[in-house]
Amino acid sequence: MSTAPEPVAGARTGLAGLLVVPATLFVALGLLGPIAILFRYSLNQFIPGQFMVDGLTIENYVKFFTDAYYLNVLLRTVRVAVVCTIVCLIMGFPLAYVLARTQSRFKNLLIISVILPLFVGNAVRAAGWMTAFGSKGALNASLMGIGLIDQPLEIMFTETAVVIGIIAVNLPFMVLTLQSVIEGIPRNVEEAAFSLGAGPSAMFRRVLWPLALPGVLAGTILTFILAMNAYATPVLLGGPKFQTMGPLVYGQFAQQNNWPFGGAIAFILMTATILLTVAAHLIVQRRYR
Amino acid sequence: MARLSLEHLRKTYGDTTVVDDVAINIADGEFLVLLGPSGCGKTTTLRMVAGFIAPTAGGITIGERSVTTLPPWKRNCGLVFQSYALFPHMTVAENVAFGLEMRKIAPADRAPRVAEALRLVQLAGFDERYPRQLSGGQQQRVALARALAMEPDVLLLDEPLSNLDAKLRQEVRVEIRDLQRKLGLTTIMVTHDQEEALTMADRLVVMEKGKVRQIGTQRELYEKPADRFVAGFIGRSAFLDGEITAPSRFRTRGGVEIGCAAATGSGAATLALRPERIAVGGEAEALPNRFQARVEHASYLGAILDIDVSLSEHDRMLLQIPNKAGVAEPKPGETITIGWAEDAGLVYPREA
Repeated sequence: MSTAPEPVAGARTGLAGLLVVPATLFVALGLLGPIAILFRYSLNQFIPGQFMVDGLTIENYVKFFTDAYYLNVLLRTVRVAVVCTIVCLIMGFPLAYVLARTQSRFKNLLIISVILPLFVGNAVRAAGWMTAFGSKGALNASLMGIGLIDQPLEIMFTETAVVIGIIAVNLPFMVLTLQSVIEGIPRNVEEAAFSLGAGPSAMFRRVLWPLALPGVLAGTILTFILAMNAYATPVLLGGPKFQTMGPLVYGQFAQQNNWPFGGAIAFILMTATILLTVAAHLIVQRRYR
Repeated sequence: MARLSLEHLRKTYGDTTVVDDVAINIADGEFLVLLGPSGCGKTTTLRMVAGFIAPTAGGITIGERSVTTLPPWKRNCGLVFQSYALFPHMTVAENVAFGLEMRKIAPADRAPRVAEALRLVQLAGFDERYPRQLSGGQQQRVALARALAMEPDVLLLDEPLSNLDAKLRQEVRVEIRDLQRKLGLTTIMVTHDQEEALTMADRLVVMEKGKVRQIGTQRELYEKPADRFVAGFIGRSAFLDGEITAPSRFRTRGGVEIGCAAATGSGAATLALRPERIAVGGEAEALPNRFQARVEHASYLGAILDIDVSLSEHDRMLLQIPNKAGVAEPKPGETITIGWAEDAGLVYPREA
């Protein structure tokens, strides 16, 4: 418990440094490069008919922040991401706890069944939801068939549909992250709390939650980032009426051919994601350290 | 503090019986040790007392209170684990105060009790440290202080010393024992370490395969083991298989005739002899049971020599000779004279 981890083999010979080179290069070239180019583009001018004109202007950013439509899209995206993350945490924690603590010999099977949804691509799954939620879809047909409702429920192309869709995609990430952290918390520690007079809720509040906090942070960051940047789910389940940031970026690039404004939106999305993540992280850390 | 009784406890998982009809009464302030090989049900028994395992049948009473159906947090059992199980995100003082906090004791009243508990385990001044900053022995003392601070009715120790190195184990052993006496704590400790059990217990319970084999003091267990298992488990014994041919007459499988006062009844039996009751060389000359034994194997263990001898082709037994000055170490193949008195051995019916 108190022993320091062994240094990575070969650390002294510089081999360890060599081992991180491929991944570092890949990230640098594959991610930072395009981001830098994108940022440069976002400062260019867009003149209809002329595509992109080299320049150094912040007018794309001004356009975004002065237009209520775009601000609404950003706000909506953040709201959806926050709701999805909170729901994932509330639903995911109990499931992750059970998975971490079960002695069942079917444990691996249970974990695979959590991962299983990830085998189906986002687009395929969202298409499935469409057939389920549509006004003539399976859900409405069943509910109307058994006489619970007269009019079909309007689920498709609403915030509800998008939230449900994103939760379904993100839940496995939350569960797996939490499960691995909870598994690292010895069962004895919980038992010690019980024997000292802590009931289940006191044990959770004073022992399990604080010890699981690194996993909670990692899980919420992961699901929040995924929800902020969701593309296929909002496009297919939100439709043109329910815009979020991901599809908006794509639209500017692919449909409007407005690369500078697309670049600006992409940058705003990235910055908002990072800022909110860091802010949440700091608040939680201050509260529990 | 309170007395504790385990009333015919039983635990089965499917067809497997892990704890079988365990009935023990523990007096107020008594230090009882559950001793047995791994898988004997001792830990399951302890966990039933703590409330983590529900017994299939039977009951548990602490003082006048039946706790059989109470959850662990209502039992007031102080529990110390082999792995310490300290809360890593809390300081030493917060760990020790946890039980008091759960009992809604005001922070101002907690402080003196935490200080007292830490003083008892000689860790005064460690309040603000975190568990990871302490050695294994110190962590185990914090765990003990944490259990003591809430003034438990019963103290439960689950192999508390097994993770400590040998020297530290002896120290902490004495400390726990002194503390337990001083505070008059009713205590149950589980261990598979015989020496630990013998040095700490008021009374011992030897368990095997879920059953209580014998309950008694160290002397009772050593001198009057109830069965062959206890005779082999507590201290060492030399065993000779054979049969009872007549009252006080025992014949080994290899046909060696032995006079033994404990041989009564008839049929297949095992003779158990404590090594220190067996005389070697000149001291054996005057004894009624006197044999020429062939040395098969000798091990030098410092204070004593372990010697494996055969009385006949089918009878091998263990001797222990004190390593005194001038005693030559017997060599394999040599023949030595060994002997013992007629009242030396105990005879048990052969177990199937």
